[in-house]
Amino acid sequence: MSKRSLWIVTAGIALFMVACAPPVTQLPTQLTPGTGKSFRLASPVEADISTGRSTTLRANTRWELVGTVSMGDVYRTRDQVVTLRGDGIHEGYIVVRERALVGFYLPVERAFCPVAQTQPLSIEP
Amino acid sequence: MNIRAIVLAAAAALMLTGCATSGPKFSEMSATMAAAKLDTGRIYFYRTALIGAAVQPEVRLNGEKVGKAVPNGFFYVDRPAGNYQVVTETEVEKKLTFTLDAGQVRYVRLNISMGFWVGHVYGELIDEGEAKSEIASTRYIGSATTP
Repeated sequence: MSKRSLWIVTAGIALFMVACAPPVTQLPTQLTPGTGKSFRLASPVEADISTGRSTTLRANTRWELVGTVSMGDVYRTRDQVVTLRGDGIHEGYIVVRERALVGFYLPVERAFCPVAQTQPLSIEP
Repeated sequence: MNIRAIVLAAAAALMLTGCATSGPKFSEMSATMAAAKLDTGRIYFYRTALIGAAVQPEVRLNGEKVGKAVPNGFFYVDRPAGNYQVVTETEVEKKLTFTLDAGQVRYVRLNISMGFWVGHVYGELIDEGEAKSEIASTRYIGSATTP
């Protein structure tokens, strides 16, 4: 194989790798429905889920409790679209424990995706 | 006319054909569109990007073909509340999953990204405010289907 051909193949593989992100982690979990709690997020949060693509939670969004999983309380908002991006894109609800974001609940997949690092949340009533 | 000119003319014609979307604009049509039934939600699909115009894969919703990813085009479907998966496929299969509530409106933008041989078209869930401004100038390419 000539140097030029090798370069073209290498560049092609690199492009393909860039285009293909790793999958979003999905740990099967069970949601126990619940209601009655809500909060306002006062400051934005950037959550890393180890796929190379982060998810931003905007400030001044209101979050309503929809249930509980073993990792924490699950909240959803109607103030923004929340998605997790890897090789696919999945809608996510946030999972909160002790006023910190610990991960996301994927309602379609019924799975939990942890964040790379727990993020403290600026929570207001 | 030499071969190069013929090839260029054919490519230009193909590109223009690929870009042609002749239906009414969303902004013109939205006021007269019937609302979804009370027990269903609505999902809009739209594509703004003209890049890779010749790449127009089918859009499948929970396994059912509901339309094509046509540049500068939009279509919509009304569906019962539930879980949905949008799949588009070129050289790889791309998936988007989301929930739909009764009375809810969802907007799925069909983007294109670089691929090895051919671009990858994928659905992305978009906030209503952003989607409404983007979809306004796209043209209707579908025939609305209800369950």
